[in-house]
Amino acid sequence: MLDLIELGLFITLLVVGFFAGTIVEKRHYASIRKREREFADVLAFSVRFPPDRVTPQRAFLVHGTVVISSDYFKTFVAGLRNLFGGRVRSYETLLERARREALLRLKHDARRQGAKLVICVRFETTTISTGWAASIEVFAFGTALIPERAAAIDFPARSVVAA
Amino acid sequence: MKLENRAPAEGINASHENPLKELAWLLAGGLGAVVLLVFTVSFAAQWIAPRVPYKYEAKLAASLPPFATTPDNAPGRQVQAELQSLADRLALRLDMPSEMVVRVGYREQDIVNAFATLGGQAVFFRGLLGKIDNEDALAMVMAHELAHLKYRHASAALGRGVAIGVILSIVSADLGSSAAGNVLTTAGMATLLSFNRDQEREADEAALRALHAEYGHVGGAVDLFNVMMRLPGGRQSSGPTVEFLRTHPLTENRIAAISQWALKNGAAIDGPRRPLPAGIAALNKPEPRR
Repeated sequence: MLDLIELGLFITLLVVGFFAGTIVEKRHYASIRKREREFADVLAFSVRFPPDRVTPQRAFLVHGTVVISSDYFKTFVAGLRNLFGGRVRSYETLLERARREALLRLKHDARRQGAKLVICVRFETTTISTGWAASIEVFAFGTALIPERAAAIDFPARSVVAA
Repeated sequence: MKLENRAPAEGINASHENPLKELAWLLAGGLGAVVLLVFTVSFAAQWIAPRVPYKYEAKLAASLPPFATTPDNAPGRQVQAELQSLADRLALRLDMPSEMVVRVGYREQDIVNAFATLGGQAVFFRGLLGKIDNEDALAMVMAHELAHLKYRHASAALGRGVAIGVILSIVSADLGSSAAGNVLTTAGMATLLSFNRDQEREADEAALRALHAEYGHVGGAVDLFNVMMRLPGGRQSSGPTVEFLRTHPLTENRIAAISQWALKNGAAIDGPRRPLPAGIAALNKPEPRR
């Protein structure tokens, strides 16, 4: 009897994990895409130095951080994947969402402080737990620049992201 | 230089393929591998065990504390002696390995069970004897346990257990305490149990043959399983309700197997029962209120 309960619990967790995880992921992607359009006017680059003709008046650190958890289903599939090797597809979407979310939060931070250009953007990832459901933190940080004269910069007021 | 940010690429870094497809492949592969491995190793252990000279099993059993013990009181000794003489009588019908000396133990515990183990030892519990009301039914249990001894099932189980234990501990150590590890370990154990049930069926069949030879009918087997059906917890006893998670076949299935066997071998399913020997009969008091 106990074995049946265990089996039932496991299948329930797997089904709940799958459906809840799928819904959460769909919604998150929709929200990410929407906000990426909203923040299209804040530009973020990985270059280390300000682009030509950008003479910063002010420069400061901006960052965005997100903690995101796997679900039972993803963790289970990833656990099996460990046996055989190959692309851990179930975690790829997780990490992608986390990076895009962290970048969005960085842009949010930049816009809040009046900047429309962030350079030297970097990502860091920290594993928070590796138990039966893994969680990770993704941290994006960069240097926000507010140029002396906005007119002097050769970048469109709205980037092609908006298109 | 024109500075611009473009929309992140979709579908390059993360695959949007249906994850159920991946699950199906991985689960089929993982379960298939574990079941195949456990099956192969179990089969090998089962094949090797009866071929290992019995003296090694006897030596191993001698190094362990004896299982077949006798209580230190007169009624207990009498019960043990009666069990032993029944065993000796049935052993002649079962064609036991010549070098095996069967020793029957008796324990005054209210567990409704009996078991056979290494070194020709069979152990009966008072709880079981108290439920049985004729010699034929007792002979069915005895013949079943003797059949386990004859086929060296304890050796096979030991070999299997050790080998599978090593395999499964590697699987679960590798996958940590993850759900995936648990699923694979459970699948391995379920496969292992199927061997257990095969052994039980084999022992039941040998016991039926012995019972038929000794008594001329297999009514004792029917009586025994009827007793088991009446146990608290009913037909399912206390174990899992699905057969693939159980150590023994379901009692209903064992009863069905008796009729099938009797039909196939032209054996009578009913006949006169013999009374229990006096010492064992004394245990079969009216059921205390529960």
